[in-house]
Amino acid sequence: MTTDDLDPLIHVPTRLKIVATLAALPEGDALSFTRLQDMIGLTPGNLIIHLRKLEDADYIGSKKTSNGSVTITTVALTSHGRRALDAYTQSLRDLLGGL
Amino acid sequence: MNPTPDTTAPAGNGGTFDPRQAAALLDHTTQQARRQFAPAQPWLLTIRGVVVLAVLGAVWLNVRGQHPYQHPTGAVVPFVVAFGVLNLIATVSVRRHATAGISGRTRLHPSEIAILALTWIAAFAALAAMASAGVSDAFVFGRFPVSLPLIAAGLAWAAIWATRSDWQSCCTGLAVAITGAVALSVGPVGAWLAAGIGLCVTLLGTAAYIVWRQHRSMVAP
Repeated sequence: MTTDDLDPLIHVPTRLKIVATLAALPEGDALSFTRLQDMIGLTPGNLIIHLRKLEDADYIGSKKTSNGSVTITTVALTSHGRRALDAYTQSLRDLLGGL
Repeated sequence: MNPTPDTTAPAGNGGTFDPRQAAALLDHTTQQARRQFAPAQPWLLTIRGVVVLAVLGAVWLNVRGQHPYQHPTGAVVPFVVAFGVLNLIATVSVRRHATAGISGRTRLHPSEIAILALTWIAAFAALAAMASAGVSDAFVFGRFPVSLPLIAAGLAWAAIWATRSDWQSCCTGLAVAITGAVALSVGPVGAWLAAGIGLCVTLLGTAAYIVWRQHRSMVAP
């Protein structure tokens, strides 16, 4: 097991933070973009770039809901994303156990 | 463990992101998120556990010399009411803050909040009906005021969370209902103390479980 075996989509500090934050919610829950941004501490533009990469891999799903004149974007980890984080965590365990 | 690992590593292919750093960042982020998302904060549960024991213990001290049993005197009733009101305000505001921006199973639906409120109202309406029907003071002002609301609200809470497979909240509701059932069985004087001890143990146990879950490492075995 080497570092190359770690999922390259998750093995980036910012995306690891995003995925770990969303995984702390119960399955089926979604988080608003603004609260996620507050928690991660990124600019909206930066956060969108990382979310798009995760969404392209089907690790997260996003939904826009309109509440009058306000549009709220929510983000949630998909079951595929949750499994990917579990696999990444297991790989980290194996890697650190062998160091 | 360093609680604030470096998060400024290049966001490219992750080649310079050490696995130890990744493990520390994963643990730190997960624990921080769990703390922020927790609708019931351990510190609040601990305070509530201690205060409920003090308040219901004070009622028990107030009534334990009564032969025959009558009811708690006016001196302690304001404390019980004040505790109930403050408890409700603190619980709702902390829950609202923790679940801000979250949609889905964590949030209670308005219909579920209405069911919980109606459960409380129905329990006290039943007490008022019993008082007007001439049921003895030992039941109306002793066993029932503390046990009926706990059984009804505890079961309603447990049922709501069981439908969402949130077993920790479900167990808390069941523990509250069991506390009510024990209080019902120990007599009008002991009911107050039994309820105080049962609720205190339930709240402290829940707080301890939440703290353990929040600090559990994702990576370490």
